[in-house]
Amino acid sequence: MFEKILIANRGEIAVRIIRACREMGIKTVAVYSEADRDSLHTLLADEAICIGPAPSTQSYLNMERILAATVAMKAEAIHPGFGFLSENARFAELCEKCSIAFIGPSAEIINRMGNKSEARKTMMEAGVPVVPGGKEPVRHVDEALKLAKEIGFPVMIKASSGGGGKGMRVSYGEEDFAANFQNAQMESIKGFSDDTMYLERYVEKPRHIEFQIMADKFGNVVHLGERDCSIQRRHQKVLEESPSVAISEELRRQMGETAVRAARAVGYENAGTIEFLLDKNKNFYFMEMNTRIQVEHPVTEMVSGLDLIKEQICVAAGEPLSVSQKDVKIQGHAIECRINAENPAKHFMPCPGLITNVHFPGGNGVRVDTHIYKDYRVPANYDSMLMKLIVHGRDRKEAIAKMRSALGELVIEGIDTNLDFQYEILSNYVYEDGQAVDTDFIPAYFPDYVK
Amino acid sequence: MLKDMFKKTYTVIDSHHKVAKKNTAEEPSIPEGLWKKCNKCGQPIYVEDVKNNYYVCPKCGGYFRVHAYRRIEMLMDEGTFQEWDKEMEFSNPLDFPGYEKKVLAIQEKTKLNEAVVTGMGTIKGNPAAVGVCDARFIMSSMGHVMGEKITRMVERATVEKMPVIIFACSGGARMQEGIVSLMQMAKTSAALKKHHEAGQLFISVLTDPTTGGVTASFAMLGDIILAEPGALIGFAGPRVIQQTIGQKLPEGFQRAEFLLEHGFVDKIVERHEQRDVIGDILRMHRKKAGAEQDFETGVNEGKQQADAGTENGRLRAVKNSGKSAWDTVLLSRDGGRPVATDYINAIFDDFMEFHGDRYFKDDGAVVGGIATFRGIPVTVIGQQKGRTTRENIRRNFGMPSPEGYRKALRLMKQAETFGRPIICFVDTPGAFCGLEAEERGQGEAIARNLFEMASLTVPVLSLVIGEGGSGGALAMAVANEVWMMENAIYSILSPEGFASILWKDSKKAAEAARVMKITAADLYEQGLIEEIISEAEPASPETMPVIAGIIRERMGSFLKKYETMAAEEIREQRYQRFRRI
Repeated sequence: MFEKILIANRGEIAVRIIRACREMGIKTVAVYSEADRDSLHTLLADEAICIGPAPSTQSYLNMERILAATVAMKAEAIHPGFGFLSENARFAELCEKCSIAFIGPSAEIINRMGNKSEARKTMMEAGVPVVPGGKEPVRHVDEALKLAKEIGFPVMIKASSGGGGKGMRVSYGEEDFAANFQNAQMESIKGFSDDTMYLERYVEKPRHIEFQIMADKFGNVVHLGERDCSIQRRHQKVLEESPSVAISEELRRQMGETAVRAARAVGYENAGTIEFLLDKNKNFYFMEMNTRIQVEHPVTEMVSGLDLIKEQICVAAGEPLSVSQKDVKIQGHAIECRINAENPAKHFMPCPGLITNVHFPGGNGVRVDTHIYKDYRVPANYDSMLMKLIVHGRDRKEAIAKMRSALGELVIEGIDTNLDFQYEILSNYVYEDGQAVDTDFIPAYFPDYVK
Repeated sequence: MLKDMFKKTYTVIDSHHKVAKKNTAEEPSIPEGLWKKCNKCGQPIYVEDVKNNYYVCPKCGGYFRVHAYRRIEMLMDEGTFQEWDKEMEFSNPLDFPGYEKKVLAIQEKTKLNEAVVTGMGTIKGNPAAVGVCDARFIMSSMGHVMGEKITRMVERATVEKMPVIIFACSGGARMQEGIVSLMQMAKTSAALKKHHEAGQLFISVLTDPTTGGVTASFAMLGDIILAEPGALIGFAGPRVIQQTIGQKLPEGFQRAEFLLEHGFVDKIVERHEQRDVIGDILRMHRKKAGAEQDFETGVNEGKQQADAGTENGRLRAVKNSGKSAWDTVLLSRDGGRPVATDYINAIFDDFMEFHGDRYFKDDGAVVGGIATFRGIPVTVIGQQKGRTTRENIRRNFGMPSPEGYRKALRLMKQAETFGRPIICFVDTPGAFCGLEAEERGQGEAIARNLFEMASLTVPVLSLVIGEGGSGGALAMAVANEVWMMENAIYSILSPEGFASILWKDSKKAAEAARVMKITAADLYEQGLIEEIISEAEPASPETMPVIAGIIRERMGSFLKKYETMAAEEIREQRYQRFRRI
C-alpha cells in the first residue's frame, strides 16, 4: 500500500480523497494554486504545496509542476480526482515514466476511450449496442431513405455542418422521410452551403443511465449498478440518483453485464463509468466511457456500501477488488443534488464571492461532501460546484422526502446558489412520480430557466 | 478562519499493508530529459512535441535551431537527398594552435564533417541543390571548407541547371582561419554571380542567427530571400553595436521582421510552411514544361466568355455611355472600386507576394510578386490603395515612395532573369509627395524605372485600373502595351491641379477633366493605349468575376502574341511604341 498520495485536484473531491486516505492510514499531499491558499483541501492535508498562480493552466493543469511536487514530497501515487488532468493520457503516461502510480486506468485506455470513433468501434466489436447510423454521409433522398430503412425509424436527419437545431429533423417513418430530409437539406444549403447529411437512429425521450464499473489488475470486473442522471441542464448534470425507476432487476442485470463486457473489452482497470442512452422502449445504446471517478459517485456508494475512492487506491496499489459481483447488493435509494455558486435567475451565471454564513443539514442518511466553510471565499477561477448533498433512504419516496428536508436546512449566505432550484425540482410532481423523466425534463418543466 | 485548527487524524495502520510493500518499487523520480526547458519562454516542453512541431516551442512558438540533417528531412521529398562532398579534408591555413583538435572534437560530437551539409534532392518533385548550415559546428562559422563546399555546390548546380537553396545560419567568419576565411565571402559570392548570370535561381533562407561575413556574402544574395520568424539577421552583432554606439537597441532590432520592414527580406515563412512555399517557388521557376497545353486550352475557354464586338464597337459603347469626363474621374477614385490585389487574386493563381527594395524599406503602396496565369509563371506588380483608413495608411493611399518604385524595378529585373512576362496594375493619385520621398530620390527612382523598363527583354503589360497619376503611374507603365479600364483615367496631373495652375481655380476641375482628355476613350483615340476593358457596370467586387474573365481572355492573347517574339524584338517593339509619340 502507498504511504503517501498526492491529490492533484481541489475543492470537495480533494477533500473527499484526503478523508479516504486518512482512514486508510495514508499520508496526503495537497497541491493548491495561489487562489486556493485557504481552501479546505489545503488545510486538511498533511502537507500542502503551492503549484502556481490561480489560472488552472498554470496550476492544476500544469503537469510538470504537479510531477515535480510529487517527487519533491516523495509521494508514491497521484489521485487526479475528476476534471483537470483526470482523463489526460499524457499525464498518466508521464506518471508512469516517473515511477509514480496514477490512480486510474493506463494512458493507452484513456486515449482509446477518449477518442469517440475509436471507442464506438471497440464497443461495437465487443457486442455493445451503439446508436445505429451516423457514419456515412448522404446527399440524395433516395439513397438516404435506403439508409434510413437500414438504421430503423425514427431517424434523426442531421446536417454535417449544422448546429443549433438548424438542418436537423426527425422522421418517424417512410411517409414523412422525404419531406423532412429535403427540408433539413435545404436549411443546410441555405445556412451553411453544404448538402452533406448524416442519419442516425433517433433515441426518443432518452434517459441518461450510467453504470459504475470497478476493475482490478487481475481481470476482475464488477458493476455497482446504475445511476440515473437524466436531470440535466445543457448537458450538465444537476441531480443524480440510484437506482433508476426506469430499470427493472432484469434490465439492470442485462445492462450491467453489457457494461462489464465493455470494460473487459478494453482491459479496463480502476474505476470507470459506461454511459448509456435508454429510450422509452428500454433499448439502450452506448454513449461513452468515462475513465475517472465521477462527481456523482456518492450515490453509488450510498446504495452499495462501498467506498469507491478507497477501492480505487487499493486497485492502483495492486490489490484485488474487495467484492465480487455476487457480493454487490443495491440497498435503498440515494439522491445527490449538486449545489453550485450560480444564479438560476440570471442564466445560471456563476457567482463567486465570500460565504458569510453556512449551515449544513445532518441526520440519518444525510451526507455532505463540500469544501466550503464560513468566511470561505469562492474563487472565480474554477468550477462553481460548492457542495454535493447526498441522502440515502429506504426507497425513492423516503429519499426525496429526506432531500427536501435537508435542502430546507441547508443555508449558504453571501453568494447566490441553485439551492432553491433544486428544491423546485424535488417538488415537481413529474419528478416525484419519476416514470416520465427524460433528459428533456428541465427544458420541459422549467422553461423559464433555460431561455 | 480554519487555519491550524484541524487535528492531523490519520489512522496509523501498520499491519499487513506495510509489510507487503514491495522493495523493488522504484522511487518516484523524474527521468533525465523527460522534458526540457524552452530557452525562450522558460516553460517545460516535451522533446516529442517539439520534434512533431518542426522544432518550434508548442507553448511560446519560439524557434529552436535545427540540425542540418533534420532540416533536410523536413524539407526534401523522402529518400531523395544525395549528399555532395560529404568528407572534405580539414585545412588549417594559419596553423592555428589547437584548431585541428577542436574541429576533430566537434566532428566527433556532431557527426558532421563541417558546418554545412550540401547535396541535391527534390522538394515536392522539384529538383534543387541544397546547402544547410548547422550551428552546432563552431557556430557554423565560414572557413575554407565551408566556403569550398558551398562554392562547389553552386558551380555544380549552375552546370546541371538546378536552383540552389541555402539555409544560412552563422556567426560569421571562422576566426581561426583568418584572412582565408574572409576570402570565402568573395569566393561564394562570385560563384553565385555566375549562377545568376546563367539564369539560375538562388533561394536564400535566413535562420537564427545569420550574421557577419555570411550575411555580407551569400546569405543576402538570394534572388528570393526568405527568413524564419524572429531570426536574428545582421552584419555586426547587436552586442557589438550596443557597445560601439553606447545606446540601448530597440526591441526587435535585427530580427527577421525588422529586415522585412526595411526591405531586405522577401517573405517570412513559418517553418511548417517552408516545404510548401519553397516547393511552390521552385515549381514557378521550372521551365514551362506542360504550361503550353494549359495555355491553349485556356485560350479556347476564354473565347467563349469574350466580351462582345470589336475594339471600335467597344469604343463607341464607351463614348455613348453618357458619362462626362468628370464622372469618370469620380468613378476612378471611388472608394469601393477594386484595388490591385482584387485584380491579382481574380486573374492569377497562387500569387506569392515578395517584399522590399533591398535598400531601405518595403513600401506598402506597391505590391508585387510571382503568380501563374494558366500555368505560366508571371511577375505581377500593382500600385495598391486601401479600402479602410487603417489600410490606406499602410498603403499610403496608393502613393508610392522611391522604395516602392525600387521594389517594382527589382521584381522586374528578377522577372527578366527568369524570362517571366510582367503584368503591372496602375492605380495611383501620383508618386508620394513628401520630405522623405525627396530625400531618397523620388525623381531618380521614377527616372530609373523609365530607363530600365525601356530595355527589359520580357513582355510588359500595364493595365490602368483606376487613377493613372502622372509620373508616378508612368514609372510602372513603360510597357509593350498599356490598357485601361473603361472608368480609369491617365493624366499628366490631377484635374484639380490643372485647373488651379492654368485657371487659378481648382473648382473648375470638371471642366479641366474634359479638356485634358484623360479618359480611356480619349487616350485610345489619341493612340496612346492599346485596349479598353469595358465595364458594363462600374467595377466593383460583385462585377469582378466578369471583368476578370474579360481580362483573362485578352491577357491570354497578349501573352500568346509575345511568347514567340525574341527578346530583342520585344525590346524594340516597346522602344518604337514610345518613340513614335
